[in-house]
Amino acid sequence: MSTKSRKKTVLVLLATALVLFMMFPYYYMLIQSLAPWEKVDQSLTPAGFSLDSFRFLMTNGGNQNPYMWLRALANSVIVTTTTSLLAVVTGMLVGYAIIKLRFAGHRFVFNVLLFQMFFPAIIMLVPIYLMMKPLANTYPGMILPTSVSLWAIFMFINYFKTLPEEVFEAARLDGASEFRILWIIGFPAARTVAVIVFLSIFMGRWSELMWDMLIAPNIKMQTLNVLITTQFKPMGNLPGPLYAASVILTLPIVALCLAFSRYFKEGLTFNLK
Amino acid sequence: MRKGISERTKIGVIFSTPYFVFAIVFFLIPLVWAVWLSTMDWNLMAIEKTWVGLGNYLSAFTSERVQAAFLNTFKYMAVLIPGVTIFATGIAVLLHNLPQSIKGVYSVSFFIPYLTSGVAVSVVVRYFFSYSSVFNTFLRDQLNVDVRWFQDPTPAFFIITGIIIWKISGYYALIILAALESIPKEIHDAAAVDGATGVQGFFRITLPMIVSSYSTVIVLLAGLIFGIFSEPFLLTGGGPNLATTSWYLELYTTSFVKFDSGMGAAIAILNAIQIFITIRLITYVLNKIDYNAR
Repeated sequence: MSTKSRKKTVLVLLATALVLFMMFPYYYMLIQSLAPWEKVDQSLTPAGFSLDSFRFLMTNGGNQNPYMWLRALANSVIVTTTTSLLAVVTGMLVGYAIIKLRFAGHRFVFNVLLFQMFFPAIIMLVPIYLMMKPLANTYPGMILPTSVSLWAIFMFINYFKTLPEEVFEAARLDGASEFRILWIIGFPAARTVAVIVFLSIFMGRWSELMWDMLIAPNIKMQTLNVLITTQFKPMGNLPGPLYAASVILTLPIVALCLAFSRYFKEGLTFNLK
Repeated sequence: MRKGISERTKIGVIFSTPYFVFAIVFFLIPLVWAVWLSTMDWNLMAIEKTWVGLGNYLSAFTSERVQAAFLNTFKYMAVLIPGVTIFATGIAVLLHNLPQSIKGVYSVSFFIPYLTSGVAVSVVVRYFFSYSSVFNTFLRDQLNVDVRWFQDPTPAFFIITGIIIWKISGYYALIILAALESIPKEIHDAAAVDGATGVQGFFRITLPMIVSSYSTVIVLLAGLIFGIFSEPFLLTGGGPNLATTSWYLELYTTSFVKFDSGMGAAIAILNAIQIFITIRLITYVLNKIDYNAR
């Protein structure tokens, strides 16, 4: 028994060491964002405590565009939340229509989905850009092309498949209208999947770089992810604020991940079915 | 009953309309447009376009940069597929044997890097490996090692691949972990009774039973490698000597820095062809292996 428990201790220690190794970049990012400017990157342990870097972001150090960092954060929140909501709604509607309504033409829609899945999105990038150019530097320009997710649709398709058909048939026999069935049975049942899809799309969209960079070059419309990218070179000798901006960019992801970890585990196992 | 059917159709059509409009506007039209554009010489601003037929494809074949993007994809795969699968297997086996009470927290910790923005990670990596950082000062002063991390092709390539291994291994570990946990405990017990050691048990029993999860991992991984962009874009610009460039980077530079959109469309299509063939090939080989393992 003692060798077994010793083995367990070794395993836990090993796993802890590995987790700490994986977490090192976050640790380093955080301590450098809180270090006094003259000490940034000079130590692996916290070198003092200063909020200068975060204060810099509040007013952009008094430079041009004083509120660009705050606005970028707001842009990120607006674009990401709207996109994720739209992707959940469109995904749920199509998924429900194909699996539970089985309306005339559901096969056709399903085949279009499969056909589209066949083509990598990169082929369409240049033409979509040309098409969306009139909407450059607007929220719709950033949101619309990413507002439908094939992955989300398939998540809902797979989920609705697992709901027993009898419940829906029984409701129909009781004379419930399709809208009522949907409202009372269909959507409430899909709540968990909706959360999983929302979170996954949210996190992916939060870190989207290429499209946002192309369609919103105006500094007032850039998301936080893009603003750090465009300031990467010009602000090269101000590592403190870049670290602070990275912390702000990373924090929501880590927080959501920890708060909803149960959903992620479910989402993962569900994804593989 | 007739009324019910027509109501279903009506709602079904209404529900499918958003996707349908999306598929037409953001998929079908751009798809045709892309093929047409790839036969044009057009600089995105000018009014006149010239038809060059397969000219763009021909100059893509002879372009050093496109060739580099093509070859780098395989270079990335050669490092990342073994690197990620081995590291992810290690994490998965470790997680599998952890006490139930801490397993959840540890799994999430390994998973978080997968969701972290490549931009934030690039900020850290850039300064951590900068000339006067604590890390490089230590290397120079204590070990007398002076590496120019981003100026030499080899370290630059391994920094990019290192970031990606760090970023995604935890996610793939969870896929492998799910496969590990689906193996009934009795099988291991039976093997132990028959005198199989831990290592034997892993290679003879566990591995064959989770082989199909590796197919998932490798196909997902290959797809991901074709999408490498943020890290080389920010850290190396694809260099030095094109050592870290990728298809996305090449497409971005050609279409939106050089404004050669015809060429850009051709590059995107060539990339899609390589994706298609590579994934097919990988699936074919994996199916063979999977079949033999059974």
